[in-house]
Order: sequence, then C-alpha cells, then structure tokens
Amino acid sequence: MTATTTAAAPDVDVATARPRPRPLRWLGGAVLAVVAAQIAWFLTHNDRLEWPVVAEYLFDANVLAGLATSIGLTVAAMVAGSALGVLLATGQLAAFAPVRWACTLYVGVFRGIPPLVQLLFWFNLAYLLPRLSIGIPFGPTFESWSTNDVVTPLTAALVGLTLHESAYMAEIVRAGILSVAAGQRDAAMAMGFTGGQAFVRVVLPQAMRVIIPPTGSQFISLLKGTSLVSVIAMTDLLHAVQSVYNQTYQIVPLLIVACFWYLVVVTALSFGQQRLERRFGRGQRSATGRWPA
Amino acid sequence: MTGNPNGPVLSIRNVRRSFGTHAALDGVSLDVEQGEVVAVIGPSGSGKSTLVRCVHQLEPIDSGAMYLDGELLGYEHHAGRLRPLPARRVADQRRRMGMVFQQFQLFGHWTVLRNITEAQVRVHGRSREQARERAMELLGKVGLAEKADAHPGQLSGGQQQRVAIARALATRPRIMLLDEPTSALDPELVDEVLTVIRDLAAAGMTMIIVTHEIAFAREVADRYVFMDRGRVVEQGPVAGVLGDGTSDRLRAFLSRYTQQLSDSGEARTSV
Repeated sequence: MTATTTAAAPDVDVATARPRPRPLRWLGGAVLAVVAAQIAWFLTHNDRLEWPVVAEYLFDANVLAGLATSIGLTVAAMVAGSALGVLLATGQLAAFAPVRWACTLYVGVFRGIPPLVQLLFWFNLAYLLPRLSIGIPFGPTFESWSTNDVVTPLTAALVGLTLHESAYMAEIVRAGILSVAAGQRDAAMAMGFTGGQAFVRVVLPQAMRVIIPPTGSQFISLLKGTSLVSVIAMTDLLHAVQSVYNQTYQIVPLLIVACFWYLVVVTALSFGQQRLERRFGRGQRSATGRWPA
Repeated sequence: MTGNPNGPVLSIRNVRRSFGTHAALDGVSLDVEQGEVVAVIGPSGSGKSTLVRCVHQLEPIDSGAMYLDGELLGYEHHAGRLRPLPARRVADQRRRMGMVFQQFQLFGHWTVLRNITEAQVRVHGRSREQARERAMELLGKVGLAEKADAHPGQLSGGQQQRVAIARALATRPRIMLLDEPTSALDPELVDEVLTVIRDLAAAGMTMIIVTHEIAFAREVADRYVFMDRGRVVEQGPVAGVLGDGTSDRLRAFLSRYTQQLSDSGEARTSV
C-alpha cells in the first residue's frame, strides 16, 4: 500500500478516482447468472411440467371459483380479525386487570394453536357441543340450533381463521399503540378529548405507520393459510386444483396453476401495502433501508 | 357550580402525590388569582411538572383537593361522600385549562390548522368555519398564519411550540399551564416562544409557568413559587426573589443557575 501523503500535489482531485476492483462481486454475479440459466433451462425443457395443461386449467371455471373463495375467505377473516385484534390490543393495555388478563390469555391460546388444528377443532365442534343456544347462562334458553347445522365448512373456516388472525393482529396493533409517545395521548386528553376519542383520532392513526407493514405480511400469510381449509372440504383454490388432479393425475401442472394464482394475489397485495405505507407515512421521514455499498 | 367570582381561579389545597415511596408532591397549597402569572421554579425532580400534570388531571392525586373557579376538580359529592367524576365531566374540566407541554406534542398526522380546530369541532361542537376562523386568529397572534397547512414535522421546535400554545388557547381556557415550554428548544429558538408568552401575560391571561428561565420569570411573572422535594419552599412577588427573606435553598439554586449561565456565556443572564 502506498499512501499519497504529499501536500504539494495541486493536481489531486478525488473526482478522477476509479472504482476499486471488486472480484468477489464479479464471482457472485457469475454464480447468480449460472443458477438463473439453470432454472430457465429446467422450466422450459422439462416435459413433466406440462405447460399446455397449466394453460388449459389456468382460467378453468372451478379454479377461478376456488380462487374467489380463497380471496373472499381471506378478506372476511382479515376484516373480522383486525377489528377483534384492535379490541384485544386495547384490552391488553386496559387499566382494569381482569380485562388485561383475559385478552392476554386469549392471544396466548389462539396464537399458540396451529391454524390447521383449530380448523379441525371447530369443524368437529358438534361432538363437544351438540346444540348451540342463546339464553341466560345457567338459566332458561331462548333459542337453540343443532351444531351440525350451524358449523358448515364455511363457518368453521371463518371462525378458525378469524380467531387465529385476531390473536396475531392484537400483537401487531399493541406494538403500534406502544410506538406512539404517551405524551400524544396526554395532549389529546388535555384538549378535552375523552380516552376513546384520543385513541381513535390521535393514537391509532399514528400507530398505523407501525401497524401496516406487519399487517401486510399477515394478509399474505392468511391468504396462504386459507389453503388449509381444503382439509375440511371447503372448495378453495387448492381444493379446486386437487379435485381436478385427483381425476386426471396431472398433479404438478395443477399445483403450478395454484402457485400462479397465489403469487398473483400476493403481488397485488404487496403493491397495495406499498401505497398504504406511503399514505400513512406522510409527515414522516424514514431510512430507505438500503445498506451502504 | 362556580364559586365566589372574586375567589382565585385555581386553588390547590394540600395536594399529595406519591410514586411508590417517593413523594412527588408532599402537601402543596397554592392559589392563583385572576390575571396572575405564577412562575414555578426549582431543581429537577422537585415536583414542578407533576404539579401542573395533576392540576390538569393527567395524573391522579392521592390526597388534598383542587378547585377551578371554586369547582372541585375530578370529584363530585354523592350520597355524602366524594367519588370520581365520569370521564366526560373530567374532559369538560380539562378543556377549561390550556396545557402546553415541554415536548410540544402536536399531532403529527394532522396539519397545523387541524391541530387547532379539531378539539373545537369535536369537543366544543363549533362549526368547521368558526373553528377555522378562531385558529387563524390565534395563528396570526403567534406569527404563524402562513404555516396553517404545514405538518408539524416541517416546523422548527420554536414554531411547533408556538402552534402548541395557539392550540391550547383555542378553547378559551380560564388558565394556561405551561410545563417547561422552552426546555426542549435550541437556545436561539427560545426567545420567539417567550415573546408569545409575554404577549399572553400582557393580555391578562392567568398562567402557571414551570420554567428554568429565571430572567424571564422575573420579567413576566407576578409571583414566583420555589419548589424543592415536592414542597413549596417559599413564594412571593418576583421583585422579592433573591431579596430579604429568601431561603438558603433558593439562594443556592439561583446561584448555581447564574453560575451555569455565565459559564456557558448566555446572553440571557442579564436581568
């Protein structure tokens, strides 16, 4: 290493510097190029992928109906789960200890049980409770239904996914609330807002900045989670392609059809998330998240 | 519910507030008359901020009582005993007092204008136009009318605190509580905020100002209250600060303060 130390070099200007050679980057680039070429070769030259079959079923009516079911289930469970999650988050932060304990216990239980187990459990609820009824606890009953009539694959899926989702959303919303300075709530209360107004108008909107990114991931994982409902015979996207390949044995191409649609929806969701983040990030500066070279 | 019209605007009677075993307020009593400006001074941890936070009912008190215009704050008589007021009544009492925080606490998701209008609309039931008119009038007073549509994050600390003062004034409070309004500001931004407070005092606003700006307190306040370890050690007209009858503790506090300022070569040391 030779150091340029002389002060008497008037023609020195760092603008004329050339980049340092970075051989490891070139090596890394070459490896990535080879891997990409291999994948492309595999996708185009392996006949078992049966691309014509993929094309045939991509817009099949049953597949699209299954896709609609998956999306509808995701949206419904997400909306209900988010609403319940906000309530649970505020409950976990409540001043009244029994409410705090109950909400914390709820989150612990429903976050801890795998969603597949929950779906099977709710689907088999009739074994535990043959009849569902509305009435005074330990008192008279006003109305009651056979559990088997109420718990269809649809309701079991909705209940299972919503409860699972609400537990995760509760933690996300709680983190968001805690990210807003306590002084903001004080200031809102000082202006004469009630606790509820302070929460809805001041704290929650500012918590959104922290809540949205993990919620986007939740949305995506919930969409993928809907594939579990095929085990309780609900006709979602996965169930739709399974019904086809159970007859035709074209397993791989039909799974590719399912993959395609999951990726399309997830990509659309990611764009939506970006837009939301920009909207709620107004008035905030943040790092671009790129490491320096 | 209002008491004697000639009585004090705010009356604090033997108020105690403890955090665990630490007594933040250890039997504080204080009356603030109409139009009076009271400067609360004292070392960090002496209970100054806790006092204004308790008056504003952002923190509960353990014992004693506080009255705003003769009305008991936070409690009501019921069946011969006291019980806490419902949240809505507490909110009603709060908006009769304006609070200014050390860290401004403007709402970052709203524009400057909305920061000032929202409480008027939601809590006072004023129309958007009325609220806007009042907000623009107040922004004019603090010299920030052109910033109405800016977001708080785009303003300097001094500008944010001036907006916060305008926001606190929007509901026409009976008394203003300022909790170290200039402590979070860069030195060159302090004066613009002090000017606004000076104007308020000149206009006859009743105020409690928790401050480290001794020179400013002498200039603008009618009375000083010196607190230490949760107690009011002494109080009197500002003209008497450092005069006869000043306690050793206050003298020690003030000399340490002037020492610090002359060390840092501050221009504001001159009184």
